[in-house]
Amino acid sequence: MKKLLAMSMTLMMAVGISSNVVASPEADKAAWDNHYKQRFPGVPADDYINGVYAIDKVGRENWEAIEEFPPYEPFIDAGEEMWNTPFANGKGYKDCFPKGPAIAQNYPHWDKEKGMVMTLALALNNCREANGEKPLKYKKGSINNILSYVAYQSRGNKINVVIPKDDPRAMEAYEDGKKFYYTRRGQLNFSCASCHIQNAGNVLRTEVLGPAKGQISHFPVYRSKWGTVGTLHRRFTGCNKQVRAAPFKAQGKEYRNLEYFLSYQSNGLELNGPGARK
Amino acid sequence: MKRKYLVGAAGVLAAVITGAIVAPQAVLAAKGASMVEEGKKIAFDRKKGNCLACHMMGDGASPGNIAPPLLAMKSRYPDKAKLRAQIWDATTANPDSTMPPFGKHNILSASELDKIVEYVWTL
Amino acid sequence: MRKNRFISILALVAGLAVGIVGCATASEKGMTAKQSPKAAEVAQMISDADAARKKAASVKGEWRDTGKFIKNAQKALEASELERAMKLAKKAKAEGELGYAQAVAQKDLKMPAYLKY
Repeated sequence: MKKLLAMSMTLMMAVGISSNVVASPEADKAAWDNHYKQRFPGVPADDYINGVYAIDKVGRENWEAIEEFPPYEPFIDAGEEMWNTPFANGKGYKDCFPKGPAIAQNYPHWDKEKGMVMTLALALNNCREANGEKPLKYKKGSINNILSYVAYQSRGNKINVVIPKDDPRAMEAYEDGKKFYYTRRGQLNFSCASCHIQNAGNVLRTEVLGPAKGQISHFPVYRSKWGTVGTLHRRFTGCNKQVRAAPFKAQGKEYRNLEYFLSYQSNGLELNGPGARK
Repeated sequence: MKRKYLVGAAGVLAAVITGAIVAPQAVLAAKGASMVEEGKKIAFDRKKGNCLACHMMGDGASPGNIAPPLLAMKSRYPDKAKLRAQIWDATTANPDSTMPPFGKHNILSASELDKIVEYVWTL
Repeated sequence: MRKNRFISILALVAGLAVGIVGCATASEKGMTAKQSPKAAEVAQMISDADAARKKAASVKGEWRDTGKFIKNAQKALEASELERAMKLAKKAKAEGELGYAQAVAQKDLKMPAYLKY
């Protein structure tokens, strides 16, 4: 009896400690949802795909005016041409993605065979390389055309990131992305969460900080500051530099796992890329 | 006549003494004023303190609202050293503070920090 | 004959002078850029700074400008601006150490209190 008590005590302690440190992805998502619901009680859940414009009324008016003549349109058209133009070997994107081009909702996903998070940008380049084409650069340039086209075709499909239970490495990748999100970095000592959870809706100088939920729904994004469309990983790079941290490699493990964690928190929301931002 | 002379001498003496005391104080005050002035410049400089990114303070234009407005600082921080410690590394007092550790991370030099403290203390 | 000798001596002297001047400038440059003890010390400081930067990067804690400071320190050393090179190397080394400490202090994920579970 004593032994049993001791055992159950140990078990309880172990459970107590572990639940303190490792929360399930479901619990992570619930915590975000509650946080934003309390912070922005008037914002309907579906509106988070509009990023900062879900909470910034003045900014929203300007944005809606911009959306009447979307600056990303030429990029979608160029991407469509890429999608339909065969590679030198006669094959094309269509052969790699027979269900395409509306495939953005399938990414990022855990690739058990490769043992890594597979992103859409990476999958597109894998297709190119398998067909003897040079891979595209991951931040700037024509990768944004094909990503814009796929995003546009995928509009309305729901984000549905799965962390498969049959491979513990998938959960490790998720946890790695989570740790990245909450780790303070750079000389200014901010984490992603410092701005986009803790201070979402607050004003930094003249800019309203956007909530993290729904942030990935509208990439790639045409940014007026860039004067062009850029990838999600280009944006990650910019965030890291702003806090005076050395950025990581676009499509490297750090940003892929971050994308995995971040995308999971937007599960259930509709894709609405490409987007337009200041 | 003699008395008048004495009074005159005393007056001169008094003037000399007060002069001797007041003059260094005036110098100090001037130095303090320039510290405050320089501190304000550093506080407003986007590449230095950039305090306005988050705090409303003084007559600074388009401040952010991430952090509390800097008002009544003398009553909030009667101990100037505590104010300095807060700017040096605010996460010591509150681990979740968003404020960058200006001293600890060498964002500002020790003398820049001193000047900002002087300025912020006047708010 | 005498005139010839005079010319040859003159040539010798001139040659020597050119040689000496040449040597002097060369050694002066070589000394400050490479061989002077101060320059060697600065070169060591730069390499220490780069080691600190790499150590920070190994725990994903590198800061944005550390690499730039090291590059500029190297350039300053090559231009014999030793004081400037030293200042930059010191700054970079401190950043490497701070970035490392920052990352190591967060080795275990601590969830912020503002997010309620």
